[in-house]
Amino acid sequence: MFRFPELLRRCAIVVCGLLLASAITAANSAKPTAYYGYGEPATPQQIAGWDIDIRSDGKGLPPGSGSVQDGEIIYEEQCALCHGSFGEGEGRYPSLAGGEGSLQDARPHKTVGSYWNYTSTLWDYIHRAMPFTQPESLSDDEVYAVTAYVLYLNDLVDGDFVLSQETLTQVQLPNEPNFVPDPRPDVHNKRCMRECKDPNTISIKFEAALHVPTPTKVELPSENTAGESVYRASCAVCHDSGIGGAPVLGDASDWLARIGKDVGTLYSNAINGFQGDRGVMPARGGFTQLSDAEVTAAVDYLVEESR
Amino acid sequence: MSKQQELDGLIKSIAAAGEKLPGPERRLFLKQGLTMLGAAGAASGAAGIGAAEAALPPGVPSWTKSLGTGVVTNPYGEPSPFEAHIKRRNLEWLTADKIASISFTPLADLKGIITPNGLVFERYHAGLPAVDPGLHRLMIHGMVDRPIVLSMDDLMRFPSISMTRFLECAANGGMEWRGAQMDRLQLTHGMLACCEWTGVLLSTLLQEVGVQKGAAWILAEGADGSHMSRSIPMDKALDDALIVYAQNGEPLRPEQGYPVRLINPGWEGNTCVKWLRRLKIGDKPWYHREETSKYTDLMPDGSSREFTFVQECNSVITNPCPENPLKGPGKFWVEGLAWSGRGKIKQVDVSFDGGVSWRTTRFTSAVLPRALTRFGVEWDWNGAQALLQSRAIDETGYVQPTYGQLRAVRGTSSIYHKNAIHTWKVNNNGSVANVQIS
Repeated sequence: MFRFPELLRRCAIVVCGLLLASAITAANSAKPTAYYGYGEPATPQQIAGWDIDIRSDGKGLPPGSGSVQDGEIIYEEQCALCHGSFGEGEGRYPSLAGGEGSLQDARPHKTVGSYWNYTSTLWDYIHRAMPFTQPESLSDDEVYAVTAYVLYLNDLVDGDFVLSQETLTQVQLPNEPNFVPDPRPDVHNKRCMRECKDPNTISIKFEAALHVPTPTKVELPSENTAGESVYRASCAVCHDSGIGGAPVLGDASDWLARIGKDVGTLYSNAINGFQGDRGVMPARGGFTQLSDAEVTAAVDYLVEESR
Repeated sequence: MSKQQELDGLIKSIAAAGEKLPGPERRLFLKQGLTMLGAAGAASGAAGIGAAEAALPPGVPSWTKSLGTGVVTNPYGEPSPFEAHIKRRNLEWLTADKIASISFTPLADLKGIITPNGLVFERYHAGLPAVDPGLHRLMIHGMVDRPIVLSMDDLMRFPSISMTRFLECAANGGMEWRGAQMDRLQLTHGMLACCEWTGVLLSTLLQEVGVQKGAAWILAEGADGSHMSRSIPMDKALDDALIVYAQNGEPLRPEQGYPVRLINPGWEGNTCVKWLRRLKIGDKPWYHREETSKYTDLMPDGSSREFTFVQECNSVITNPCPENPLKGPGKFWVEGLAWSGRGKIKQVDVSFDGGVSWRTTRFTSAVLPRALTRFGVEWDWNGAQALLQSRAIDETGYVQPTYGQLRAVRGTSSIYHKNAIHTWKVNNNGSVANVQIS
């Protein structure tokens, strides 16, 4: 049996506990207000529109899935022209596959398979920044599919693999254990003022050739300077090199059939976007801030220079 | 003062400006300048270099004997046309295109420690976005009590602060890890600038939204097409991270993140997210592309360092340098820039014999924490070949290392955070070359 004082003490603890709990609830329901109170509260709808980040533990991944097979089709259409059909990378665009075991070589080959640490990073980056000219244009399922295909290019999953919100963090990248925290300062020199080294040991190991010219742009003859400047700033990225299947500036054979079309069709395709046999022309080249006049001036310039 | 004399003055000035340029660019500059003059000369029906002397003492140039143009002829002023060679430059072969690329600050032509706004190096991952400030918003959410959306007007109501800090790309000098490659200062060290940044301390905004217990990292995200994103530790956010809307007294330039960017003083430029649209508070880092695939440092043993934020103590001589050759033996004012992401510069020493002996220099600018600091020392050049080096020491006592010391620890594949002592070779004819020595 409890002795009376003990019972009283226990009751007191319960009562006090209840009081404290209700006090905390009151504090939570009336959160302290902001000191300045500027701006507007961010609504859940507003946050949902921008809250695109995915974390290495998969936090943030939306529901959905995509297969390697579906990914191959999207990749060939939207990615291969820069990254290569096998992820090898065209020109100086990043290669996505290969390079296993090369990290200690004189020329390391850093790819998703050889270097990256988390699969989530791939999903996040494709979703936020790719395709290069049309970021945030792929659906969630398409991002799962392309991610799956890049993993497949790196021999990290089989050809019948389906990547999903549930399976993504299960795919571990081989290089993940090799990332370490920053240990700097890690290199130590001492201040010395006299006879710090033997002058006879000094030799020139490397000398950069003087006056290596910075490549200067060759000015193309053109009366259409407005079109040319729009072209240089916005179109040249694809139409100088032909990436994305883009017809190359000045290549008459490339442009013959197109120039044959009504120029209005060319304008319309450039403004509204166009799916051709060889690739996609994004609306306004992905530079949505360009006006119709700027786009048509650039088309005029392209046509004029390619006859 | 005749038209002739005016032309001759111009020719002299153009020739003088052209002299500062490396060979091919000088020829192009002179050609363009002379073409321009040719047209003017033909119109006036006269051309000749000798008459330029008439503008020099005891002669008097035309601008001294006539009226100039009036106010607001040029409402937003520009540099003199004679300084047109002072500009950002890029290296076409360095990146696949100009949209995800970088340009370099012309350090050889700049004075003091402030980089003019139009000359601050550019780094884009999806090009320069045309952001309408009226429609731009900064969202702060995640582990906070009061998620908010701020307009630029809202942001500018908060207490503001200005600080002069350097901004440096983690890859500054990264092309030199394997050997001397770049032929001029603009390319060896030009991913570097220093501005007076004005904005709101990030800590002020965090107080406003009420950071929840357990929060340790912040994701900063840009409004450009790449949605540039980096994870920033809470310690830095509460220390000196600044939400910036002005540089050197005027609104941020579009190239620098207009209308608002993050500046993490002393940290690699990539963390200083431009066109900032979102700050999300969380308890762990995100491991996004720019902090895994890129901006991690590969070591000789195959391991990679992550979250290598600080730009360590560094320095370089800006005069002489390949763009600023010496014009015959005599006394020269040798000067340069030093900086450290860990604080103030304590001392800079200079060697003229490849590091055998060193002389202390004096500061010729303000000495501010995490800012460019200018040093100088007089040198009597006898016309013999010389190997010039500068070595900075910061207030933590850290001494800028040699290439040998740096490579012994980090190898040559890490791309980022190269801060080795740099060597300029002065040739007998006064020309200056980028070299690396044993």
